[in-house]
Amino acid sequence: MARRKVKAEPQQPVLVDYADGEPSAFASMLGGLIQANVEGRPEKQKDFEALVARVGIWVNDINEGVTLDFKSGKLTVHNGLKPHRTITIRADAETVMSLSNLKVGLLGMPIYYDEVGREVAGKLLRGKLQIDGLLPNILTLNAVTRIFSVQ
Amino acid sequence: MAVKAFSSEWASAFKDEVNRSSTYKSAAKGWKWTVGLVVEAEPDKQFPEAKGVVMDLFDGEARDVTVGPASDAQKCDFVITAPYSRWKEVATKQLDATKGMLQGKLKLKGDLPTIVRYTKASQEMTECTTRVPVEWPDEK
Repeated sequence: MARRKVKAEPQQPVLVDYADGEPSAFASMLGGLIQANVEGRPEKQKDFEALVARVGIWVNDINEGVTLDFKSGKLTVHNGLKPHRTITIRADAETVMSLSNLKVGLLGMPIYYDEVGREVAGKLLRGKLQIDGLLPNILTLNAVTRIFSVQ
Repeated sequence: MAVKAFSSEWASAFKDEVNRSSTYKSAAKGWKWTVGLVVEAEPDKQFPEAKGVVMDLFDGEARDVTVGPASDAQKCDFVITAPYSRWKEVATKQLDATKGMLQGKLKLKGDLPTIVRYTKASQEMTECTTRVPVEWPDEK
């Protein structure tokens, strides 16, 4: 019996998925933000494809966090902080939003001398923004900032 | 003088408050999208029908703010949805709008990178709502 060949539709690769059946609002927001950034801005794709890191973000004033598990072109977002994180960012909600507003300058370095950058750097110095694992992973942090930034 | 919550008078007072804010004017430079606020009904709080606030915002100016059916607000480029009592918490400074969105207490629909880029403008807009004296239906 002759069979008709079924041509498979090319499927869009899934860039972001969620580890939990019910991702938290914060997890959905960060996952959605990163997906929109990577899909809409080709310059962010290179970083996204190269990045392998487990990044925790904890928002102190809502007592919620997520773990972003970057694996060379794929991101899995977990509700809450999971073990074996490369870096963990702890800050209030406003500061977390400021991080995504950092501009990226020459050589892909985040800019810390404009208004938003100074605010972020000031919070880091005052301990209102804490980054565990910062020193050995500064390049990872820069790559995450570039992917995360909407500027 | 206090105006009824989510009435046409409230919309007009809110628009004036936004246009008086120099912080909003500079933070919202370049903004060119409509924003709809859906206020879901809570009959037990004397807010029996959902309402929609449609905000025509352009380049740091509120060109128009109107109150009508929720379906009008749902057609906007950005839509923020919450029950009446949540909006009341925002307008009375009991809930920070940024935190509310991260916690899912306020549900946002629209292009996330754009709204995140204008976080300062949306925070100032929230501040403007807190400066409008309001008569709340469940406090009569």
